[in-house]
Amino acid sequence: MVVLDPAHGGTDLGARGTEGIRESDVVLLFAAQVKKSLEFQGFQVIQTRDANDNPSFDDRSARVNAQRGAVFITLHVASTGLAGTARVYVMPEIPPTEHRNGLIPWDKAQAPFVGLSKKLGDLVQAELAKRFKGSPTTALVAPVRQLRTTAAPAIAVEISSVSVADRAELDRMVPGIADAIARGVSEFKLSYVVPTIASPGGGTQP
Amino acid sequence: MTPRWVIWLAGILLAAVIAAALYFPSLRHQVDKVAQLTEKTAEQARRELIPPAPVRTGGPMVNAKLYWGTRAQDGTLRAVIVDLPLSDDPALRAKQVLNTLLAGPVDPEARTLPPDAALLAFYILPDGTGIADFSEALGTSIPSGIQSEQTAVESITRTLDANVPQVQRLKILIHGQEVDSLAGHLDLTQTFQVNGSGLAAQPAPSGTSIITRPIQKAYEKMKAATKR
Repeated sequence: MVVLDPAHGGTDLGARGTEGIRESDVVLLFAAQVKKSLEFQGFQVIQTRDANDNPSFDDRSARVNAQRGAVFITLHVASTGLAGTARVYVMPEIPPTEHRNGLIPWDKAQAPFVGLSKKLGDLVQAELAKRFKGSPTTALVAPVRQLRTTAAPAIAVEISSVSVADRAELDRMVPGIADAIARGVSEFKLSYVVPTIASPGGGTQP
Repeated sequence: MTPRWVIWLAGILLAAVIAAALYFPSLRHQVDKVAQLTEKTAEQARRELIPPAPVRTGGPMVNAKLYWGTRAQDGTLRAVIVDLPLSDDPALRAKQVLNTLLAGPVDPEARTLPPDAALLAFYILPDGTGIADFSEALGTSIPSGIQSEQTAVESITRTLDANVPQVQRLKILIHGQEVDSLAGHLDLTQTFQVNGSGLAAQPAPSGTSIITRPIQKAYEKMKAATKR
């Protein structure tokens, strides 16, 4: 399963361009197309929002944390960056925490998944680099708030940018972004094993 | 009513008018005094909220390394050498370099922090954690996005790393409070590594130290505040 997160929404418009382009609108369009491409590859897809509402960071994380074996992709459009490029971000290493009662602390939910997120991020970024010249070839590292509380392989995809003169420039990127994400996730799925968390009895918990 | 009562009543009214005429100027004087006091208190509060960055005036100039962005706004940072009269005190030194960073580079396109943001306070804890308290404009005026928010924080951490070695890590507060994210993306609940975050220094275009006009203005403001 893939959980898609069109960022912002509601009163939070996200990045805003001079031509009236709003990140919260654009990411909904991107999400719809990415969902189609992922479903075409055989994935079940749910979204953290389908309309102009704004779930909290934790509400969005809760959607994916309730699933087993899911991956999480949050979609963003930047204010800056070379127009027509796309970047994937993953969380930096989070110091290990003792898992009492076999539970992962909510605020460090990403900790056991950082390595898997990096792998997923690199695969999606490599696909994006093929389609969008000037994009990095490997995933970048940034402490993105939404990713920290996500207990799954999780990446943020950011597209540049709301500052384009014409919204059509962004719309033209939609098929390439959707295809790159779908291919990257498909490749990741082949080697994805859900990590096990140590339990108090010394055993492991899937 | 007899004429005698009328005379008494007129007399009382006349006495009240005379008393009021004598009392009102004194009352007005008191009201003005209270208003002046309130005005001073508000000004005092403002000054306490935004203390002027102290400057060691007349001290030797030091080559400070400041990290601003580039015109491409692609997340890359560029070190610029600026002559500053830096304090020996690490917390004051941090305030000086961050206020200069906020004042901005020559090219406004290379700015990494919003021009209306202000540094309200800077403290260093014994374990080397620097606490930088910024005004709300840091979060509300910065261009929203992972890249732009990361560039802003990196320009701060790299500038601190290059000039204030005592700061090992950085915690950013907004108006004295911990906030979830900078502008919807970058996580501000954690600390940022400062020590070792520096880029290799790149010389200024001319190859010599430069002081930009906004920086010069910031100096003048700081010096004036110190003299006061």
